[in-house]
This record gives sequence, C-alpha cells and structure tokens, in this order.
Amino acid sequence: MISILLSIPILSLVTIIQSAVVSRMPLLQGTADLVMVVIIAWALQRRVKYPWQWALMGGILMDFYSSFPFGVYTLSYLALSVLAQLMSQRLWKFSFLIQLFLTLLGTMLVHIISTLVLFLQGTSLEILRVLQSITLPSLLLNLMLTLPVYIIMVDFAHQLYPEEVEL
Amino acid sequence: MNQQFPNSIRIFVFSLLALGIFLLALGGYIPPLTRAVLTPLTSSQTWISQQFQGLEDFISAPRDAAAIRRENEKLEAENARLEAQIIELQQQLLEFEILSALLDFARAQPEHTYLGATVIGRDPSPFLDFLIINRGSDDGLQRGMPVVSQNGLVGRIAQVSAKSARVQLITDPSVKINVQVQPSQSEAVLTGTITGDIRLEQIPQNTNVTPGNLVLTSGLGGNYPPNIIVGQITSVRNPEYALFQSASVQPVTDFADLDIVLVITNFNPVNIQPLIPTPESP
Repeated sequence: MISILLSIPILSLVTIIQSAVVSRMPLLQGTADLVMVVIIAWALQRRVKYPWQWALMGGILMDFYSSFPFGVYTLSYLALSVLAQLMSQRLWKFSFLIQLFLTLLGTMLVHIISTLVLFLQGTSLEILRVLQSITLPSLLLNLMLTLPVYIIMVDFAHQLYPEEVEL
Repeated sequence: MNQQFPNSIRIFVFSLLALGIFLLALGGYIPPLTRAVLTPLTSSQTWISQQFQGLEDFISAPRDAAAIRRENEKLEAENARLEAQIIELQQQLLEFEILSALLDFARAQPEHTYLGATVIGRDPSPFLDFLIINRGSDDGLQRGMPVVSQNGLVGRIAQVSAKSARVQLITDPSVKINVQVQPSQSEAVLTGTITGDIRLEQIPQNTNVTPGNLVLTSGLGGNYPPNIIVGQITSVRNPEYALFQSASVQPVTDFADLDIVLVITNFNPVNIQPLIPTPESP
C-alpha cells in the first residue's frame, strides 16, 4: 500500500523532470526516458511485489504529458514491468545486467509503438533516419541513466522494505 | 661641587638657562632642535613598536584566528548570496533581452494582440515536437491560436487546459502549413519531419525558387495569419520528371533555445473542413 502511495509523488516528480529537463536535453533528436528507466529499476528489486503499480502510474502520467494517443506509454511500461519481474525472479543474481538488457528492449519497444502510431496517423517516416537520429541516441542516453537510477532504486527499496532479521 | 658653587649662584645659573631656553623658544629656534633630537628617537620608537605589535599579534593569534574564521564564514556566506544574486540578475537580464525582442516583434506587427507565455516543458516523446507553456484557457487561450517568437513562427496551440497549453511546433511531423516564397510569391506547403527539419513541398515547376528566399505564411487555409516569417530556403530539389519542386528550409526560430513565446490571441482559425467536397456531398 505504501508503495502505491509513494509512487504518486515520486513518479509525478520524475515525470516533471522528464518534461522540464530531460526532454530539453536532446542528443541529435533523441531524448532519454527517465520514467522508463526508473520503472525498470524498481521492477527489478526483489522485495517489490507489485511493480506493475508503478508502471501503471508512470505510464498514465507520461500519457498525460504526451501528445500521443492515451495508452502508448501505459501499455509499454506495463509490458516492461511484467517482463522485468519475470526475469528478475529467474536471474536475480544478474539484476543490473537485466536492467541494461531491459533498457535496450524498452527503448526499442516504446519507439516501435511510437513509430507504429505515427504511421497509422499518416505521418511519413524514414525508418533509417528514425533509427539514426532518434532511437540510437535515445538508447545511449537511457543506458547512461541506468547505473545512477539503479543505485538509487536499490537504496530506496532497502529503505522501504528493510530486510527481516531472524532471531 | 656643592661647596665650590653656593646655592644662590646655582639658582641664578639655572634661571639664566631657563630664560635662555624661553627666549630661544620665543625666537623660534627650539623646533629644529626638537626635530634633531626626536628624529632618531622616532625611528627607534617605530621599530620597537613594530616588534611589539608583531609579538602581540603572535601571542593573541589563536583568539584572532577564531574571529577571522568567523569573519571568513560570514564573508563566504555573503559571497555566495552575491553570486546567487548575480546569477538571478543575469537571468533577469536575459529575460529582459528576450522580452525586449518580443516587444519589438509585437510593435512591428501591431495588427495582432499578443500574450506572453513561458515554456515550461516539452513532450516526453522524441517523436513529437510539442512545447508546454504556462498559459491556458484561464488566460483566454484557445485551440488553434498561432504562437510566435521574436524571430518568427513557432507553431500553434494544439491543446488547452486551465493553466497550461500544448503548442505544436512547425517541425512536428504532422504539421502542414500553407506558405509563400518571397520574392517569387509562389505558393507551397511547409511540412515538418520526424527528424526536426522542415521542408517545402508542392512548389510549382514554373516558379523560380532559389536558396536564400524567404518563406512566410500565406494565410491560405485559415490556420495561420499571413506574412509571418517562417524561415529561409537552404536548398532546392527539382527532379526532372517531378510535378513539383521541393526545398529544405532553415527555420528562423531556434526551437532548442525557446524560453518565452507570444500567443496571437486575436486570430481565430477558420475551419474549412465543411467546405471541402466529399464523395457523398451533392
């Protein structure tokens, strides 16, 4: 319960930072997706039972901020959080490597869905230029954010769910 | 000695000496004498005083160090405050310069009514070129109102909430604007691209368009007021068997460095959709 309550101010703050700061610092045309990196890092924490709650909250907030049709981010983040939880249960010893892998996968997923939506809306797209100017720079920026975000989320999960000591 | 000179003679000699000194003083002969005597004394006194001062400083150093540290902390705090003030003033100066340029733009086009707004965010998706500004329907903004900067066209309002609005930039891939090229006055359609560039399409083959020509809104379609500068043509493509020419345009507005914009509030976009004939219409 406390996790859901905390997700509202934390993800609101992260979304504001995303819109006001991160999105204004592009590399070529690509920008980092801070909310996605936070959601993946949170979902990979072993003590977090329901990571989809954060994914849902982050996705809804991003959909409010974005001009894409509502649901693009929510669906992408939910899929990522489920995948992250499944992977962390089986490969929990390599959680940072999973974080890197899921950041790559998540960036591709969000960009494929975005491209598909734009295509359906009738926007002309040059896939190679999209890849060069948007997707690869975004991926690089997301990977750069991975380590600091992962460390912060590990620390935060420890604070929120302290390890039980057997007497 | 006492026996050789009686007291009366001694008193007389001293009185004479005192009278002599008094007369010398009256005659102005004493100050040079005083100077001659005091000059070496003063030098010695200065040296002794300096040594004493140094010794005193050395002895009282620990107490003064604490005072100096306190003073230093106070000055550092003052310095930090002044530095913050300088940054704030520089920011204000920058804003003033932008506002001044915007005012110049507004004065140059007095037929419009403007409302200034600050850019507070961008669309989180790198695929879309939208800005978020801090004015909304509470300030009288409506969907479709054009947005300009001191340099030229920025875009138009795509969505409005009470306290904020979303501005679709002219670089957004779904944008299409009717423009005219100066000086040839040929009509064309300006489109945004996914990579943030803007292009001119449907330039008639029989018109002479060259790099350096200006691109302005034409007002056709009723979405934008006419004669707002959009950019400058950088290159023209004219394939041999194509129906139209196309061109790349360098926008006059630097969208990456956009902090304050003006919304044209007295322009009502015209919806011409019902006038466009459809297969079902008679």
